[in-house]
Amino acid sequence: MALPVILIIEDEAPLRRFLAPTLGNQAYQVIQAATAAEGMAMARSHNPDLVLLDLGLPDQDGLKVLEDIRSWSRRPVIILSARNQERVKVKALDLGADDYLSKPFGADELLARIRVALRHAVQDLYPTPVFEQGGLRMDLARREVTVDGSPVHLTALEYRLLEALVRRAGKVATHAQLLADVWGPAGEGQTHYLRIYMAQLRNKLEADPTRPRHFLTEPGVGYRLYEENGTGPDALA
Amino acid sequence: MTPDQPSGADPILVALGSDVRTLRLVHAGFRLAREQGRPWIAVHVEVLGWETSEEADQARVWLQEARDLGAQGVWTRSSSVVNGLLAELRKSSSSVLLMGQSRGKSVWGRLEFAKTQELLKKHLGLRIVTIPMEAPSPVDTQPRPTSETLGILAATAVLLVVCAIFASALETLAGFPAIPAVFSAGVAFVTHRWGRRASLTAFLLSIPLYLCLSAGWPRLLYFLGTLSVVLLLVDLVDRLQLETKAGRRREAETVLLMLLGRALARCSTLQEVAEVLSQRIRSLFQADAWLLTPQDGETWSRRPATAGAPACPPPGELLPHFRSASRHRDPLEPLFLDGCSYVPLAGPQGTESLLQIHLPGDAQFPQASWGSLQSFAVQGTLAIERVRFLEAARQAHVDRETERMRSSLLSAISHDLRTPLAAIQGAASSLLLPADPLPESARGDMLAMIRDESQRLARLLSNLLDLTRLESGALQARKEWQPVDEVIGAALRRLETSGSPMEVRVHLQEGLPLVPLDAVLMEQLFSNLLLNAGRHAPGSPIDLRAWIDEGALQLDVSDQGPGIPAAFRKRVFDKFFRLPGAGGDGGVGLGLAICDAVVRTHGGKIWVEDSPLGGASFRIALPVDGAPPTIPQEP
Repeated sequence: MALPVILIIEDEAPLRRFLAPTLGNQAYQVIQAATAAEGMAMARSHNPDLVLLDLGLPDQDGLKVLEDIRSWSRRPVIILSARNQERVKVKALDLGADDYLSKPFGADELLARIRVALRHAVQDLYPTPVFEQGGLRMDLARREVTVDGSPVHLTALEYRLLEALVRRAGKVATHAQLLADVWGPAGEGQTHYLRIYMAQLRNKLEADPTRPRHFLTEPGVGYRLYEENGTGPDALA
Repeated sequence: MTPDQPSGADPILVALGSDVRTLRLVHAGFRLAREQGRPWIAVHVEVLGWETSEEADQARVWLQEARDLGAQGVWTRSSSVVNGLLAELRKSSSSVLLMGQSRGKSVWGRLEFAKTQELLKKHLGLRIVTIPMEAPSPVDTQPRPTSETLGILAATAVLLVVCAIFASALETLAGFPAIPAVFSAGVAFVTHRWGRRASLTAFLLSIPLYLCLSAGWPRLLYFLGTLSVVLLLVDLVDRLQLETKAGRRREAETVLLMLLGRALARCSTLQEVAEVLSQRIRSLFQADAWLLTPQDGETWSRRPATAGAPACPPPGELLPHFRSASRHRDPLEPLFLDGCSYVPLAGPQGTESLLQIHLPGDAQFPQASWGSLQSFAVQGTLAIERVRFLEAARQAHVDRETERMRSSLLSAISHDLRTPLAAIQGAASSLLLPADPLPESARGDMLAMIRDESQRLARLLSNLLDLTRLESGALQARKEWQPVDEVIGAALRRLETSGSPMEVRVHLQEGLPLVPLDAVLMEQLFSNLLLNAGRHAPGSPIDLRAWIDEGALQLDVSDQGPGIPAAFRKRVFDKFFRLPGAGGDGGVGLGLAICDAVVRTHGGKIWVEDSPLGGASFRIALPVDGAPPTIPQEP
């Protein structure tokens, strides 16, 4: 089986020097680009399985590169950005990026995100109907939710929110994406709808709602359904 | 004797007026109190509607002077002077009252004064000491208006005619040669009363009158001789009197100058200097005065700022007058222009400021007072120069402090950046050494250290950036209605994943509504507060409470550690402030400064209290404006 190809579009040489061997050592094939133009060209010529995209490129805005890739490919893109740039992150995610990493980040965190993204690339083609983790079990085909074996009743909207999160399990979902999935056009800008229903979901499904284990908050960006062998406390430690 | 007088002697009460004579009263009171070894109280009774505001200002000056001489100064309001004095006398149980006795006032005024004295004596059995007071001398003798001169002429004529009738009656009835004596008395009176010009008139008038009365030519020479001697004597006496008056006036002016110097010495700002000058000029010359200082070279800055002050030409037009024209004028003469007089205040850099003086009726400044006015100007100049140097010294001090703070900030930052960098550089270079590879465990330690120290560097940098952006106003709170527990949950998770284990107990008010918060900033606030508590109270459980009270979201993060000494409770929110004795365990003194900035950008406040369980309690109140948005009910 051929190794998955990862394209790194990053202008900082020290970061590439760290990324290339780390990923190469993990059974990925790595190709590199230092500018936006070069990155877009290499994406088209190599059709990589995953793209690591830095937003601060010298010649063009990284978001332009993302738009260009999304115009012809559904392959996962992970954004690399500085901290405190929640607006840019949200914009990139809404433009179709799969996830983001704030600089500086550790190798373990990076590898976990790449694993989740690559798995989703396959899963989205053959979705698994059951999500099960830490006492929480959701059967999307039978529309059943149980906590430690006992069934939990959810309202229609709560179920739709849960479903939207499960489909993105392990990845971050922005407020706008969740609102569109659950409420449609009526939900645009109504972030508080989402917050209230999220609180209800946590009350029903979390052991301690103030210390969520499953439904994690990404402040200023959105929510993430924690996935054990993807991102999470263990992976970030 | 009252028990509240520590010296055992009852005080002397001095009743102060408002005009310049009051100073003698103040000094007399001071001397009397010193001689008798008693305390003394200076009282000014303000009777509403009796005093103008200028007089009241002046009275305050005397009261201050009395205070400077050791008196207790009392300013009291009453329906009449007598009542006010009575009240003060009772309050202080004094038995001696010192007051001035006016001379040369109207008969009515004297009666009033006697009545007051009588009343006071009757009521309290007081000993009253009075001091004779001269009427205040006018600042200058103005030329008499014509109507008055005519009146004086008429009066002189009438008086001499009466003298003539009286003298001739005496001569015919008693056979007594009274004409020279009676005329001498008449002319002497006129001279004394109305001055030399009137006396000359009287002298000339008396000649035809005398000729009408008696035809004896030889007696005329005798008559004229007598009259001349009398005239000479009266003139001499009047001159002496004038000299005395002038001397007294000069004395008063000297005292006022001394007082002015003392008042100016107390000033520390230009505004205060201007107010003192204006007030003193008003009380001495009955004129309005302003201090003009050039502003941007184009306009005057006027102090004190008074509405309706007379206009004056801009500095560019006014100042050259003092440079070019000075040669042709008396150096003491103020410049007179459009109804106002201007006196230069010439400092080391030449004339910069001016005194603008406006006399009632746009009058010129009287020549007799030019000297005094110049003395005022000199004193004012010195005071202004002193105030300027004071201001310069103050500014230099502020600059030095700012510079000192900047360099201490810089050294704190560079120290905090260098320490982890030095560790990283050292560890990395030792790992790269070609010979003698380190044992596996040491290599692992070093690598972990490199990771930890770089994380610390990253934290410091992002804290610095956040703080800078918050303080510069570049980062504003983007408030959205949300549940507090979600923000708290995110903060707790960040702490868990960053490997800072601590026991946090969350207590939320039942049914806490949505509140307007910036989730990103507030998550950082909670993280910082909890990290701070974990650092200073290791192992202690931390309680986090949230409730709504007084229209605000109330938050409390309490630990059970050693607490924060009261002296540092404000300073803990300062940049790079670390509690003395706190170990260098990674805290750089930015966390709480960020909390403070976050709370402020939310329009709230943060402070430290003692926790009821011992330890520190960080309290936050964030305003909740408006009602939370509603959500349609799910069918």
